[in-house]
Amino acid sequence: MIQLENIYKSYKNNRVLSNINLTVNKGEVVTLIGPSGAGKTTLLRLLNWLEVPDSGKISIGSATIDASKYTKQEIRRLRSQSSMVFQHYNLFKNRTVIENVADSLIVVSKMKKKDADEKAEDLLRKVGMADKLQDYPANLSGGQRQRVGIARALAVDPKVMLFDEPTSALDPEWVGEILHLIKKIAAEGMTMILVSHEMRFVRSVATRIIFLENGELVEDSNPKDLFENSRNVRTQAFLHKLTYEEE
Amino acid sequence: MGKIFDPTFMIHSFPEVLQALPTTLFIAFVSGVIGLVIAFIISFIRYANIRVLSPIARAYISFIRGTPDLVQIMLVYYGIPLLLKALNEKFGTSFDVNGVPSIAFAIIALAINAGAYMSETMRSSLLAVDPGQLEACYSVNMTRFQALRKVIIPQAIGIAIPPLSNTLISLIKETSLVFTISIVDIMAQAKIVGSRSFRFFEVYIVVSVIYWVVCAIVAFALSRVEIYARRYERKTNS
Repeated sequence: MIQLENIYKSYKNNRVLSNINLTVNKGEVVTLIGPSGAGKTTLLRLLNWLEVPDSGKISIGSATIDASKYTKQEIRRLRSQSSMVFQHYNLFKNRTVIENVADSLIVVSKMKKKDADEKAEDLLRKVGMADKLQDYPANLSGGQRQRVGIARALAVDPKVMLFDEPTSALDPEWVGEILHLIKKIAAEGMTMILVSHEMRFVRSVATRIIFLENGELVEDSNPKDLFENSRNVRTQAFLHKLTYEEE
Repeated sequence: MGKIFDPTFMIHSFPEVLQALPTTLFIAFVSGVIGLVIAFIISFIRYANIRVLSPIARAYISFIRGTPDLVQIMLVYYGIPLLLKALNEKFGTSFDVNGVPSIAFAIIALAINAGAYMSETMRSSLLAVDPGQLEACYSVNMTRFQALRKVIIPQAIGIAIPPLSNTLISLIKETSLVFTISIVDIMAQAKIVGSRSFRFFEVYIVVSVIYWVVCAIVAFALSRVEIYARRYERKTNS
């Protein structure tokens, strides 16, 4: 489903990702964990081509793109395979809730407005936002905004959903409902890649956990093994730091 | 001799000065519209950083900002006829060099002037839109053009309106310079009425009141447009 080959990425002289090779199968829920600056978010954003790797190859579904030589069509084909849920929601500020979800259907998928609105409304009902269709994002709470963000990402029928710290900007009271929603979508068989610091959630939703540090894949394991029996010193050190807040 | 200040004369000269108001409004409106079009094109050249054109646009903006409006009007007034003459000689065209109405020169000069200022406003407004908005567009596979049309430009307009309305109001006031190329706008008309009676102070009060009212109306209208363009933002009570 997803394949990354020899991905390298630097910002100026700062190496962010180094020789990343990764294969993700359909239906997997992969969580990227690691200290800040490890390259988790960059890795996620590469998949949506919001960051361009210096070299390497990315395949999602039927789309393949090689960083050394690519066309606009290839970028669009790659992007059509995935959608992103952002830490800061990034809802279209000038569009209503329903327009946020329906716009891509009308503009990109060339759906009729009536059909697009119908689909958008269904999705918004699913995320519990059907009563706010005509509101603007500015009038919503953080949790509501992220639910719209998730509906917008679902609307494009992605093969894989990318979540970039979807609850980090939320007040604690909203975190639970968003995590619950993500879990619900995962249970429907959606392939997901998440960056999250909610370790308890990660443990319960992920089928696979990847620990990144200094731009390298350090450990790639199932949650139980990684959390309980990791033999990797760096993973242990990272988890040890986190246990303070967990207890 | 009469009074030091003659309010009756002042009031009576209102209608005569107002006769020239359509000329002032016409110049301001047409050059404002053309200026907006110029600004839109230039701001895109700069926003997208198009090769070759972008440095030319920068030079144009720098020149307009670095020279007085009056000088620009003179350059256009004396330059365009020379340009037409040169074209006639070179390509055998037959532009009527003396047939161009002065008002066309005024409009060209003011449009080029306002266009430069407004293009900078528009460019900075496009840049002021949160980059996350563009990323969100890309994440649902919109093209850059679709993103601009649906999301970026509408938000940039909301940001741009207050500074744009400043430029448009300046433009209305700058039309008062066109009397220098023998156009009878309200300023020229005031001079005519004033010189007939030697009561210049009174007519300049008249003309300043007219400018003030026109500018106030335009400012009010644009503030309404701004409220509409930013209707999606959170209202704060204050």
